[in-house]
Amino acid sequence: MTDVVVQGLSKSFGSNNVLKALDLRVPSRQFVTLLGPSGCGKTTLLRLIAGLEKATAGEIRFGERRVDTLPPGERNIAMVFQSYALYPTMDVARNIGYGLEVRRTPKAERQAKIGAVAKVLEIAHLLLRKPKQLSGGQRQRVALGRAMARRPDIFLMDEPLSNLDAKLRAAMRGELRRFHLDLGTTTVYVTHDQLEAMTMSDLVVVMNEGVVQQIGTPEEVYGRPANLFVAGFIGTPPMNLIPAQVKDDVLTVAGTPLPVPLPPGAPSEVVLGVRPQDVSMAKPGDAGAIPGKVWMVELIGSERLIEVEIAPKIRVTAEVRASHRAAIDDVVAVRPDPGHVHLFDPSTGRALTA
Amino acid sequence: MRPWVAAILYAVLGAITFVVCFPLLWAISTSLKPKDEIFRWPPTLWPENITFESYHELLFGGSVASAPGAGVPPSAYFLTWFANSIIVSVGSTIISITVATLAAYSLTRFRFWGQRSVPYIAILGYMVPSVIFVFPMFLTMVSLELTDTLFSLILGYVCITLPFCLWLMWAFFRGVPIEIEEAALVDGASRLQVFRQIVLPVALPGIIAASIFSLIVSWNDYLFGRVFMNSMENLPLTVGVMHFFDGTHVDWGLMMASSVLMTLPMAILFGFMQRHLVAGFGAGAVKG
Repeated sequence: MTDVVVQGLSKSFGSNNVLKALDLRVPSRQFVTLLGPSGCGKTTLLRLIAGLEKATAGEIRFGERRVDTLPPGERNIAMVFQSYALYPTMDVARNIGYGLEVRRTPKAERQAKIGAVAKVLEIAHLLLRKPKQLSGGQRQRVALGRAMARRPDIFLMDEPLSNLDAKLRAAMRGELRRFHLDLGTTTVYVTHDQLEAMTMSDLVVVMNEGVVQQIGTPEEVYGRPANLFVAGFIGTPPMNLIPAQVKDDVLTVAGTPLPVPLPPGAPSEVVLGVRPQDVSMAKPGDAGAIPGKVWMVELIGSERLIEVEIAPKIRVTAEVRASHRAAIDDVVAVRPDPGHVHLFDPSTGRALTA
Repeated sequence: MRPWVAAILYAVLGAITFVVCFPLLWAISTSLKPKDEIFRWPPTLWPENITFESYHELLFGGSVASAPGAGVPPSAYFLTWFANSIIVSVGSTIISITVATLAAYSLTRFRFWGQRSVPYIAILGYMVPSVIFVFPMFLTMVSLELTDTLFSLILGYVCITLPFCLWLMWAFFRGVPIEIEEAALVDGASRLQVFRQIVLPVALPGIIAASIFSLIVSWNDYLFGRVFMNSMENLPLTVGVMHFFDGTHVDWGLMMASSVLMTLPMAILFGFMQRHLVAGFGAGAVKG
């Protein structure tokens, strides 16, 4: 039952401001992902919550308890590191039980807890091994077991799956989600992998350059990006961001008027965002379709990406069925679905909402 | 491998091994010979009559404590010298390793001015031959009124072993991932617990390697012992056994028996430590 509240948190390393007066609230029992490109400050934020870094300004509270002055060991958190960081000289059982050991938990109780965790994680047969005798996936489980054994208030995870191969990563995603649902422990999870963020989280916090860009459910950050950064960062292939003009309440892209509802007070220059999945192919001259020339065609399995140049250096990608054929330099047109377009103010980057 | 290649290889290796081991074999052999057999010509490779009289004289030939004063044979000092050597080697090693471990840890874990240059300056200091600073150090010892004390030798040996031990431990700690310490902090361990329970066990192979180095250097030193010490009862073994040369004759039996006894502790130490040295390496805490 612990929510994490971060208020006005700043962190600088020398002249490098990694976090800039950041506010964030992680609701109790939720799985919250900090998502962003490398260097966006997400790991720094996690380390500040853990107490491994000292904030330059601001405060952190767990529920009513202010923790930013406490050492990591007194915050009752558990952390899973990207490198797993198992204690190399201790066997698996002692690795898992170390947190209980330093808290002077009686041996019998400690062993019972180690046993229970090992059973859940299916590593009971590995308890006497040393970390170097384990595979990557097994080390991952031990690291997880170490975090679970103490029954912490909060789990902090720093890209815990990034050292696993693709297949194991997919399996562990599901397992982590299951563990979270079973244990109900507030979890802050750092990743740069949007697939992990989308599949596992209750809430996604998109960060860039030390600033929170958007906080929302996976559906929200995908379906209603708050600004140009989120729009471009979330989704594969990335959203088309096309310069457009507004004149007399009509949106025009490369000279073609589009039947897109405009919010009141839209500036004369806007950015039209539309996902490749929401762009269909049409014939030149069709209403609401922007004419252009096919610039590149890529097959990605069941779908085909068709990149169309609608004006010099301005290209729009459409994701269509693989059966749809197109050749480079074909004269075609692309039609954005008017119900699924996003408009942004290019001067602020913010989404324009109707 | 073709048989004749293997034969040549083994012959060469065997010859090299023999050359390397011969002095030790010869020392053992001579130490077991009666006095008249030592100078016999042609020499015998292995004694015809094995005797332990040289060892007996060194180990049970009476001690300085029981009969102090002039006229005491040098062999009576043997056990004292042996003890001196152990005290100064172990003492200087303990100081060197303690200082080197703590210094190297802070050099890799905390940020301060000069952090990068200290290990390099230290290793540079180690590259200067000790002959160059033995006399300045002797003069310092004189002004500190420490000459002819075991403590002066301990200080001297710390000076020559610490730089390299520091370098070794520094290189070792740089390879220890900081995440395992952070994990222990999150687990609730105190700084001291982290150092004792996490860092030291991981650093053990490095500590053993540095200890062996320091023990060997201080056990084998002759220069510092020769310059710093005067009294018979304060000499380390290396300097003391030179008294078996007394100008007119050399007691080779005693000399060789001392050499064998001097080699023993290091040989035994190596035998024990080697296993630890190998076992500790290659810890795979982090992605391997």
